[in-house]
Amino acid sequence: MLAYLTKSILGAIVVLLVMSFIVFGLQSIIPADPARAIAGPNAPRETVEAMREQLGLNDPAVVQYGRFLLRLAHADLGTSVRTRQPVSDDIQQYLPATLELGLAAIALGVALAGVMAALQFLIPGSGGIRLIMVGVGSTPIFLSALLLAYFFWFRLDWLPGAGRLVYRDFAGPTGLNVIDGILVGRPEVSVDALLHMILPALALALPIGIAVGRSLNGALHEVMRQTYIRTARGKGLSEAKVLLRHGLRNAATAPLSMLSLQVRLLFGNLLVVERVFGWPGLGLYTVQAFASADLPAVLGVAIVFGILYILANTLIEIVQSMADSRIKL
Amino acid sequence: MAKLSHRMSEPVTESLLTVKDLSVILSREGRPSRVLDGISFDIFPTEIIALVGESGSGKTSIGLTLQGLLPREYLPQIAGSIRLAGIELVGAGRRTWRSARRHLVRAISQDPMGALNPTMTIRRQMRESNGGAERSIEDWLNRTGLPDPDRIADALPHRLSGGQRQRVLIAMAMMARPKLLIADEPTTALDVTMQAQILDLLRDLARDQQTAILFVTHDLSVAASLADRILVLYAGRIVEMGHIQDVARNAAHPYSAGLLAARFDLDSDRRRPLPTLPSERTPSVDVGKACAYATRCPIAQPDCRAIRPPLEPASVHDGAVACLHHEQTPLHSAQRSDGKPWPAQAIQETVALRLSNVGKTYPTGTRSFWGRRQPQPVLRSVNLSIKLGECVALVGESGAGKSTLLRIAAGLVASDSGTVTRFDKLPPQVVFQDPVAALTPWLTIGEQIGERLRAISLDSDYGRRRVGEAIKLVGLDPVLMDALPAEMSVGQCQRAVLARAIIVPPKLLLCDEPISAMDVSLAATTLNLLSDLRRRLEMAMLFVTHDLAAARIIADRIAVLKDGELVEIADPDAIIAAPQSAYTRSLIAAMPSLQAGGGR
Repeated sequence: MLAYLTKSILGAIVVLLVMSFIVFGLQSIIPADPARAIAGPNAPRETVEAMREQLGLNDPAVVQYGRFLLRLAHADLGTSVRTRQPVSDDIQQYLPATLELGLAAIALGVALAGVMAALQFLIPGSGGIRLIMVGVGSTPIFLSALLLAYFFWFRLDWLPGAGRLVYRDFAGPTGLNVIDGILVGRPEVSVDALLHMILPALALALPIGIAVGRSLNGALHEVMRQTYIRTARGKGLSEAKVLLRHGLRNAATAPLSMLSLQVRLLFGNLLVVERVFGWPGLGLYTVQAFASADLPAVLGVAIVFGILYILANTLIEIVQSMADSRIKL
Repeated sequence: MAKLSHRMSEPVTESLLTVKDLSVILSREGRPSRVLDGISFDIFPTEIIALVGESGSGKTSIGLTLQGLLPREYLPQIAGSIRLAGIELVGAGRRTWRSARRHLVRAISQDPMGALNPTMTIRRQMRESNGGAERSIEDWLNRTGLPDPDRIADALPHRLSGGQRQRVLIAMAMMARPKLLIADEPTTALDVTMQAQILDLLRDLARDQQTAILFVTHDLSVAASLADRILVLYAGRIVEMGHIQDVARNAAHPYSAGLLAARFDLDSDRRRPLPTLPSERTPSVDVGKACAYATRCPIAQPDCRAIRPPLEPASVHDGAVACLHHEQTPLHSAQRSDGKPWPAQAIQETVALRLSNVGKTYPTGTRSFWGRRQPQPVLRSVNLSIKLGECVALVGESGAGKSTLLRIAAGLVASDSGTVTRFDKLPPQVVFQDPVAALTPWLTIGEQIGERLRAISLDSDYGRRRVGEAIKLVGLDPVLMDALPAEMSVGQCQRAVLARAIIVPPKLLLCDEPISAMDVSLAATTLNLLSDLRRRLEMAMLFVTHDLAAARIIADRIAVLKDGELVEIADPDAIIAAPQSAYTRSLIAAMPSLQAGGGR
């Protein structure tokens, strides 16, 4: 376990180095000129040139990259062109909202997967469920997010569909509103935060649930044919015990790998969903950064997402090794 | 029928299990097929019954039906009656079945490697078996002869060997004190020495616990060493039943006689082809109103195809037989000396394969911090050479290094030390244990055989002719050239694998346990085919097996491998008559034999 953690941290450092290199490369390839962006479209050429000098854009590439790495080591991701604030401050501000939504989406997705696999397993020949799954699975996320917002917020007005909270001035210690509401003793805040989260989290959870659910279903069907399942039934155990004790754990590896893949896709989906539901998180921040060629912001978020993905992946691998003790970390 | 079973049971006790007119229909891919057809028999308390038949005869289905565990996706339809300890199980509810499985009937399976949950410790799996009584777990592990039961109880299954797992499964089944134990080929996956130990263990436990055993097997010698009575099953019907010694001495049904004749052991005649059952089963004719064996039967008459023979008292023994003409069944002992002897073997001077001082280590054991494992030697300085036209059988128990040696000879694995010299520049051909898995499912047999011709297209007349010749050489119908592997039987797949190996005749053919998963008649057929091919094509052959009898029949020399070292290499009859090493002696002693009579 210790060896595994050491290895995954070393791995993370290597990944970050590679990523920093790509990010830096992108900075120098992309035609957008940060000096021009800061100086404004109507600034005279001399001002822009001065700005270039000030930003160090005229130095040799190696020097620039070294400086970039040094800043990165101090968690300095540069200054956002759009907000004129350090990117790291911006990220600190928007990260909790995204973390809260992302975690809710993963939890909801796993729950959906379990329900779907259970339904398919208990009802043999359940063509209807498969049809629904294919239908939902083939809907692109921008469309499903819009449809959810249109019906459940705009038409039916069952659920809120914009922002995180109605309490505008609320600010808790962790930034995760559901938890903060409980911590500061205002349960109505938690409830409101949960209600706001349902639609965007559902939009994000649907693709996770379908992918992981199909994988779980396939793995269960394979596992329930194994001889050891027959051994378990031969002991006179009830079918539910056979499924939960002997089936599920042995079927867990493949769906967990699928979950790891889906978490990666989740980061991209967050951009779309936060934009649709006006969710003030890193996704929305990134979309806005794109619109104003705010390269430092985009790259800062990319690095944060990279770290989050490595974390999630490590966690999932640990869960995998707990489910199947033959997998040694 | 009632009168009959009374006559056959010496003690006048109530039967433990009464099966009457049991029929089972399973639907695979929407096609219903009758896997059991009018089965009736009794088992009395503490009796051991052997259930014998070829693969596909319905042996395993009987066991699963008695536990109510036929796969649900095949939509089983069960008719007839199963009374176990006074409880009618056909048509019973889930609760009744579950209670029967918990207290009355337990099973151990063919596949000890797959029958234990890989992610659960032995202790937890055993606890489930007897409703949580903790104390008896180590006790039971101890009784099955497992060393260090404490460690085994806390281990996960993959830490145990096949033999250890089978002992755990036996302990798990017996600790529930069932009245009936269904043992479905429990020793097929184990080597001979282990097999003998497991059989002894089963017999002792059953006697102590007053448990009856339904012992499913295709191996008549194993049946003879253990059982009181035998049921012979063919195509889902019982064709003969009786006391094991009676049937073994004087089988009344032509099918039983054929099975007995095809059986080979250390006394079989190795100078000529083994007797085999007449050609493979063709699932034609309407079996419902005929004798199912009529299409293969050497003594079939026209009426065999019109009347289903009832199970009647046999004339030659105390049991019963389902054959209209059973008086004419030839004695199986008479069938054994038929057949022309093999032509004299010409072993050439050229060495086809030479292994000198070959050594190999594999990393095993626990991982270090960086995930490295300690190297463990599997082969230690092995010297072996095989001449053109010669067959050497490599014998040893699992883990001795047999397969590694074969892979090194094939060039699939590099040796760590020593040299491997092959006479032929072409790579040697390898025949593996599972012929179905060795064929690509979506290519036709012809395409797969023709692939080895490389430059020659299968569309050309020449290509098709070459493939056709190879197919005929291995005794396959050339029509099967366009068949997919799934459309053929296991035996046909094995022939196709051989055709692929010999279409460009190799100088060296390597066989890795090619018969160990086969039933008797198919194994005999395959041995005959291999013997024939190697003589005709003057190939050198390395035949890896754990079956000493098969080794003796096919090989010119037997090499015995133990813990990675060659302990003995000599002429088969010399080795069996006067084994030099203790290990070889134990191999020979462990061979089951029809005459053994089970030491009862």
